Amino acid sequence: MPQPILEVQGINVYYGAHHAVQGISFAIHPGEIFGLLGPNGAGKTSTLSVIEGLLAPQSGTVTIVGHSLNENPMYSKANMGVQLQSTSFQADLTVREIITLYAGLYGVATPPGYVEGLLQEINLADAKNKRFGQLSGGQQQRVSLLIAIIHNPPLVLLDEPTTGLDPQSRRQLWDRIEKIKETGRSILLTTHSMEEAEAMCDRVAIIDHGRIIAIDSPERFIEDYKEDPRVKAVSRGSRITLEDVFIGLTGREVRG
Amino acid sequence: MDTRKHLPSRRSVFLSLFNADLRILWRNRRSSIMATLVPLIILISWKGVVITMGGPFAMASCITIGLIAVGLMGYANATANAREKGIFQRLRVTPAGAFEIIASRIAVQLFQMAIMTSILFIAAYFIDHIVLSMGGYIIGLFASLLCGAVFLSLGLAIVALIASAETVNAVARFVYIALVVVGAIGELGVLGDMAKKIIQWSPYGSVKTLLLAAMQPSTWDTRTTEALVISFIYCFVFTLIGMRWFKWSSN
Repeated sequence: MPQPILEVQGINVYYGAHHAVQGISFAIHPGEIFGLLGPNGAGKTSTLSVIEGLLAPQSGTVTIVGHSLNENPMYSKANMGVQLQSTSFQADLTVREIITLYAGLYGVATPPGYVEGLLQEINLADAKNKRFGQLSGGQQQRVSLLIAIIHNPPLVLLDEPTTGLDPQSRRQLWDRIEKIKETGRSILLTTHSMEEAEAMCDRVAIIDHGRIIAIDSPERFIEDYKEDPRVKAVSRGSRITLEDVFIGLTGREVRG
Repeated sequence: MDTRKHLPSRRSVFLSLFNADLRILWRNRRSSIMATLVPLIILISWKGVVITMGGPFAMASCITIGLIAVGLMGYANATANAREKGIFQRLRVTPAGAFEIIASRIAVQLFQMAIMTSILFIAAYFIDHIVLSMGGYIIGLFASLLCGAVFLSLGLAIVALIASAETVNAVARFVYIALVVVGAIGELGVLGDMAKKIIQWSPYGSVKTLLLAAMQPSTWDTRTTEALVISFIYCFVFTLIGMRWFKWSSN
């Protein structure tokens, strides 16, 4: 088995007395798309924030391509690309300037024509001088994804990348994520869309109340739980879907 | 796919951030112009003060007011707003260090302060015919940067201790008014001797004393050296608070 690209070991996060993340452990292997699924408030954003280096866990370790996030945070960050839930770039900068900025932060040289070439790849060559705030949601997500992989990282973290996108933009983004996978990178994806997880992920972890309650491939999940009474009780059709399994395992009640 | 064994140099990270922050400052130049206009208008309308108290006194007062405006109203609010939009969180998931992220914004504001001071020097020369020695201009410009750093560090401390951008705005306005109005009135002794003494040692008083002597190097005395030392202390303490308790997210 090759060395995992990302290894999360027993992380615990507390907010005051609230134990938000309770000893979560998992590993992502090269070329794998791994989905982190959970209802609102289940602990997936906190888990992702720990991996991104935005939140220090009270205990546990995160290792990215052999670099401990705690001991070598900069090396860890240099080896991952991140697309945050909200595309929080400087609205006063143009698309070209934002790409140049982030290339500089990762030490990527931008010779003349380089940024234009990247924008051409995502069909945004005409938007290079537009302010980021002037782009549509789908265009912003494309730029955000481009920046996440601008330094060619082995690990890409995508936090609900298709939220708020129309079906066309979502399908286009799925294609781009597939292409990222084809280059051998590993992807950690959080999403509320079970359709997305089923279509994209090689394995998913269902997280609830701060714990991982199951990890498997979407196909295995459906196979293993298709006869589970909790799952059958929530199924709306003849075919059991990943969403049925998810709701069956995490409950019907609306969270947060 | 490329496993990175080398990090970008801190210098190149800083320059990338500085370049971006400078562009943002330029795109929001209206607020910079406003920050410069206020002391400029005061300088132009203070002909009586120039005659009675002297040109350097009027200039030191106006530059101090401008520096407070940039440090508190400009820098603190811009930083709090950027934080609320999640811009710092996005930067923090890159190999950019906390120091580079904060330092590039401060460097851009210092650049703005240098331009503002230069404009006030030029305006004072042409409008009020205030002429300083070459040393006065050079030392005055450098002193304005140190004095600007005092108010930028105060702005940083405010942003560090308060999470909400709205509250930062309100507190920055309050501190601005307190420093400028109470400082300007109090230093004349209208509020009593005790208030005058406190104001002399406040950031407003120390900075003004320092600027006044810097523009007339021959008048530099023990009180000026004390003002220089106290300005450094203010700068150090506010920066320490700002760096130690800086909140990267408003959540």
